Amino acid sequence: MQILQFTFMRMLSAIPVLIGVTIIVFLAVQLVPGDIALSILGRMASQEQLQALREQMGLDRSLVVQYGIWFTALLQGDIGTSLSQQLPVAGILGPKIVNSLILMAGSLVIVLVFGFLLAVLSGAKFRSMTDRVVVVITLVLASLPAFWLGIIMLYFFGFKWKLFPISGMYNVASPGGFWDLIHHLILPAAVTAAGSVAVVARVTRSRMIDVMAQPYILAGKARGLKRSQLVLRHAVRNTLPTFASIGGLQIGYLFGGVIFTEIIFNWPGIGLQVYDAILQRDIPMIQGCVLVVAVVFVIGNLLSDIAVYALDPKKG
Amino acid sequence: MSDVSLETGRRKQPAEKRRSNLYFVWRGVLGDPVARIAVGIILIFFLAAVFAPWIAPWPPNEADPSMRLRPPGTPGHWLGVDNQGRDILSRLIYGARYTLLCGITPVVLGAVISVPLGMFGAWYPVAGAVIMRSMDVLFAFPMALLAILLAALMGPGIGNMMIALVVTLIPYNTRVVYAAACLERDQAYVEAARAMATPGYKIILSEMMPNVIASSVVYSCTIVGAVVITAAGLSFLGLGVQPPTAEWGIMTSEGRNFIFNAPHIAAVPGLAITILVMAFNLLGDSLRDSLDPRTRLMLIKRRK
Repeated sequence: MQILQFTFMRMLSAIPVLIGVTIIVFLAVQLVPGDIALSILGRMASQEQLQALREQMGLDRSLVVQYGIWFTALLQGDIGTSLSQQLPVAGILGPKIVNSLILMAGSLVIVLVFGFLLAVLSGAKFRSMTDRVVVVITLVLASLPAFWLGIIMLYFFGFKWKLFPISGMYNVASPGGFWDLIHHLILPAAVTAAGSVAVVARVTRSRMIDVMAQPYILAGKARGLKRSQLVLRHAVRNTLPTFASIGGLQIGYLFGGVIFTEIIFNWPGIGLQVYDAILQRDIPMIQGCVLVVAVVFVIGNLLSDIAVYALDPKKG
Repeated sequence: MSDVSLETGRRKQPAEKRRSNLYFVWRGVLGDPVARIAVGIILIFFLAAVFAPWIAPWPPNEADPSMRLRPPGTPGHWLGVDNQGRDILSRLIYGARYTLLCGITPVVLGAVISVPLGMFGAWYPVAGAVIMRSMDVLFAFPMALLAILLAALMGPGIGNMMIALVVTLIPYNTRVVYAAACLERDQAYVEAARAMATPGYKIILSEMMPNVIASSVVYSCTIVGAVVITAAGLSFLGLGVQPPTAEWGIMTSEGRNFIFNAPHIAAVPGLAITILVMAFNLLGDSLRDSLDPRTRLMLIKRRK
């Protein structure tokens, strides 16, 4: 019952944030230098088209009216029309979001599994040899730019050793299928995950060190419990809320990495779409991509907050 | 280190004056060999940036087409030559200017805006609620994405990229300042100042500010590395510094097209970013540990 109540309250609190997100994405267009209608339609547009768009967006009216028009369209699923493809942005983004979420899910699995393993290995014995090695590994991982790591991995694993395909989601020549997808997924997912693995491992490790210094661990030692039992049955459980909340925070960070890995590995997701839109100055498309990602991010944070609550052994 | 000195140290403490944060930075960071190496690396990059015209063997944009794609170790071009025949070492040295500038300036400007915002918010609860709820909205965007949105709509260029980074950084730093200022607000010295009818702005500026600013500085130092990566990433996307300017993100981006015949073009500048970011991260960690009341005494005692 309690968790339902928490979920409900947390969902309510996400609503003003979502509205705020739409306001920022809407206002960002005001940053475009010069005539907004001209920027959206491009130089090829005729005077009549420009005038029609100005009337449709209410550009000659106040910002509040403009926002109202834009927000109403948004609620009906209309995020605008792509400049470069002359198609509704929402329709183009649909399949791309799915592709990006597949890549994100792959990297999130890597982040959670490796982040947790590294944290438990190192945090269980503060300042041991394993601990020191893990600290160095996480330092290096945290300092690698995703766009560079992607290029380097592509060169070695894709080109030189030919272990993984270098581009796309499926092999065009073969029938494809699940394993083909996984084969294409591993390299970009690993690159996207690298920085977050480091963050999750470091934060969970320091929580683990704190937990291992708690009196109940000492009491367990005094009762003659084995080290493995102490770590796995007692300490790990109390690091889970920290682990889940830092893991959840990575969702946004992963999105930042996904943009670069999609470009480098030619993964047909929302990051590649943003990049194309930037190159073509396709403003409605950029707006749509950012809006969609922000909404997914807010929902992701919501889910992780609920997971944190559910995992906390100390809740009421 | 002996137990005796620890004992006397502890006994003396009540009589001792509250040590300034600077003392802990001095003893903690400079007493830490790892942090000293980090400072050394940053200093080398910094000097390379300042004295680029004197130490770079070639001008950054001078191309010799006959030398195109030569690998590292070529006489006269230690780190190789890029796709247009430009010396990579020289471009790396000149590029350090933009990388350091784009990594540090947004952090400083972000802090300059965040410190008053966070303190003001902590002092006036109504303003604080408004400010912090607005920050929550900015937090709803993944950091890199907000910077991309702003930079892309304002148009490419180094100035617009820096503005985008500053806006992106404000919510993070403001949250840190706000939390610190809320703690200070309830301290006895603030209450005393209030009892003496000191005006609010004076309490904020001369009483709370020195204690709050440390946390903002530490936080700023820990994120310089991330900002260097984000700025290089924006340039990689074509949103920041524009070609043919020598900048490490652009160099990596240009090298990507030649990855199969001349991998060094992308590898070298990316490696430079990694080393610089690692140095900033190490320094930031050390600085945070030396100012964290939970760990700083331990660090100094250990190093005595």
